Amino acid sequence: MTPVPDARKRRTAPRLLWQTVSYHGVMLLFAAIFLLPFFWMTISAFKTKAQIFADHITWFPNPIQWQNVVTLVTRDDFPFVRQFMNSVFYAGSVALAICFSCSLAAYSFGCLRWRGRNFVFILTVCALLLPGIATFLPTYIGWSKLGFNGTYVPLIAPALFGDAFFIFMLRQFFLGVPRELLDAARLDGASEFRIWWQIVMPQVRTALIIVGLFAIVYTWNEFFGPLIYLQKKEDFPLSVGLFTFQSGRSKEWPLAMAGAFFTALPMVVLFLFTQRLFRQGLNSRSLK
Amino acid sequence: MGSVELQGVRKLFGGLEVIKGVDLTVAERELVVFVGPSGCGKSTLLRMIAGLESVDYGTVSIAGRDVTELAPASRGVAMVFQNYALYPHMSAFDNMAYGLRRAGLPNAEVNARVKKTAELLQISELLPRRPKSMSGGQRQRVAIGRAIVRDPEVFLFDEPLSNLDASLRVEMRGQIARLHRELQATMIFVTHDQVEAMTLADRIVVLNSGRIEQVGSPLELYANPANRFVAGFLGSPKMNFVPAQVQGVVGETATITAAGLPTFAMPGITGGLKAGDAVTLGLRAEHLSLSPSPVQIPATVRMYEQLGRETVLFVDAGAVQSIESEGGSGALTLQMNQPMAVEIGQSLTLGFDPARAYLFAPDGSRCSARRSVLPG
Repeated sequence: MTPVPDARKRRTAPRLLWQTVSYHGVMLLFAAIFLLPFFWMTISAFKTKAQIFADHITWFPNPIQWQNVVTLVTRDDFPFVRQFMNSVFYAGSVALAICFSCSLAAYSFGCLRWRGRNFVFILTVCALLLPGIATFLPTYIGWSKLGFNGTYVPLIAPALFGDAFFIFMLRQFFLGVPRELLDAARLDGASEFRIWWQIVMPQVRTALIIVGLFAIVYTWNEFFGPLIYLQKKEDFPLSVGLFTFQSGRSKEWPLAMAGAFFTALPMVVLFLFTQRLFRQGLNSRSLK
Repeated sequence: MGSVELQGVRKLFGGLEVIKGVDLTVAERELVVFVGPSGCGKSTLLRMIAGLESVDYGTVSIAGRDVTELAPASRGVAMVFQNYALYPHMSAFDNMAYGLRRAGLPNAEVNARVKKTAELLQISELLPRRPKSMSGGQRQRVAIGRAIVRDPEVFLFDEPLSNLDASLRVEMRGQIARLHRELQATMIFVTHDQVEAMTLADRIVVLNSGRIEQVGSPLELYANPANRFVAGFLGSPKMNFVPAQVQGVVGETATITAAGLPTFAMPGITGGLKAGDAVTLGLRAEHLSLSPSPVQIPATVRMYEQLGRETVLFVDAGAVQSIESEGGSGALTLQMNQPMAVEIGQSLTLGFDPARAYLFAPDGSRCSARRSVLPG
C-alpha cells in the first residue's frame, strides 16, 4: 500500500516563509507611505481647522465634522456640486468620444487593408512623441477665433479625432479579432461600418471599457486645458474649481480637504470596482 | 445553382505573384476540391472567388455573370471557414439569420428559412445557444447552416474540417457529401488532406506554387498523374521516386537502368524519350511486393508501421535510393494489405512489375503509359 505522504513535509520551508514575510513587510511599508497623504486628506476632511493644526496629531477625527460636507455642498462661493457635475459631464463626454473615435481608427489600422496603412499608423504613433504644450498655442488661438472660448467644446471636440495612445492600445486588441469573422460578415452583406459596430465592437468590449476608464481618470484629473479655456467658476470641473478655491481661501483647510476628498473619491471607487480591467490595460500597454 | 468560371486569374501581393494565371471551369452541381501543399495558393484562389481578395488580372464568373468587381455579398456565394467564424456574441439562430436580415428579408421568412435549415442539419436544439457553449462539430454544423440558409449559387469551403478531431472529421465529411447530393449544390472545397479530396471530390484540382498542375477525377489523378508533383502529392504512403536512365527506346518500349536495379523494359512510353535521358522511376508503395516479380530488389527492413489491416515497411534497398523519401533516408516504402510479422533488420526480396511503374521525364512530366482508372 502506498504510504500516506507526511503532511509536515508540505509546510513552507522556514527560508521561504522568511522571504514571504520580508517581501510583504516591505510592500506594506511602501503602501503605507503612498497611502499616508490620502489618509491625511480623508481625516482632515472631517476635522475642524484647530484639530488639523493641533500639536498633538489625532489619527481619527473626534467628533467627525459632518458639517464640513454640508458646508461644501451649500456654499455659494464654491459651487462644488455644479463643478462635480461638470467633471462628470467632461470626463464622460471625453471617454465616449475617445471610445468612438479611437475604435474607428483602430478598426481601420487593425482590421482593414489599405495602401499606406502602416505609414499612417507610424505617423499616428509619432504623435505620442509630440508634447501637448507644443500645439497648445495654435490650438488655443484657433478655438478662440471660432468663438468657443469659455465652453467645453475645445476640451471635448479633440477627443472626437482620436488619441494616439488609445488608438495604439485598441489596435492591439483589434488585431486579435479573427479575420474570418470580418470575412463572414462581408459575405453576409454587412458594410464596414456595420462590421465595426455589430461584429468587432462586441469582441473588444473589455478593451473599450479599459480605454474608457483610462480616459475618465485622465480627464477627471485634467487641469491645464480647463484652466485655460474656461473662465467662470460655475463652468469649472472639480480639478480647476478646487484649485481656485484653495488658492483663494487658503485658510479654509477643512473645506479644501473635504473638496479634495470628494474629488478623489469617485476615482478611488471606480478603481476598486475595475482594478482587474486597469491591470489588464496596463499589461497591454507594457506587453504589446 | 451556378457554375464558376475562372479566366486568366492572377493575384499579386506586392511584387510576389501568388496566383499565376488560373483557368478553370466548375460545372453546375459539381463538387471540386482544391488541394496542394501549404502556400500553393488554394485558399487565396477560393477567397478570390468569394470576393474577399481582389483579382489583379483575369475574370471570375458565377452562373454566367462576371462578378470580378462585385462585393462578396453580391456574388451569390456562401463560405464555411476553418475556424467556423461564428459571431461569438450571437446565438446560432442569429448567426444563421444575420445574412438574411442584411439582405432585407422579412422576419417571417428569416425564421422559416433558419428553422428549415436547422432541421436539415439536425441542429434545431442548438439555435438558442451561443458558439462558446457548443462543441467543434456543432459549431461547424451551424457554420454550414449559415451558408445553406442563404441559398447561394456556390458553396465555398476553406479547410472546414481541419479543426475537428479524426472521428468527427469523418462524420462531417459524410455530412458534406450528403448535403452535396441533397442540395444538388455547386461546391468548391479547399483542403490539404488528400483523403478528404479523394473521398469528396467529383474533380480534384491540384495546385502548386499558384498554378494548376492537373484537374481530374480522384481516380484519374491517382492512376494517371500528369507529372511527378501530382504523383508525389496524391497517395499515402507517398510514391517512391528512384533516379534512372534511359538506355534505349524501341518503338514505345524503353529500356531503363537504375543503380542497384537490373535493366528492365517499360512498355507504352510516350514523350520523345531518347537514350541517355535522366528520368525518374515512380513506384507506388502498394505496387512493390514481396512475391516474385519481373524486377527483384534485395532489401532490409529499416522501420515498419503496423496499422491493423495493413503494414507499411520502410526498407533499405542498397543502391536503390528513393528521392523525397521520409527524412531523406533514401528508404523505399512498401504497403502490404495485411498485417505481417516483420522485424527491423530482416532481409527481404521485394519486386515490382514495370508495367505498373511510372516514368517521369527530366521536366517532371509523366511519359509512361496511361492506366485504366479501375482495374479489370
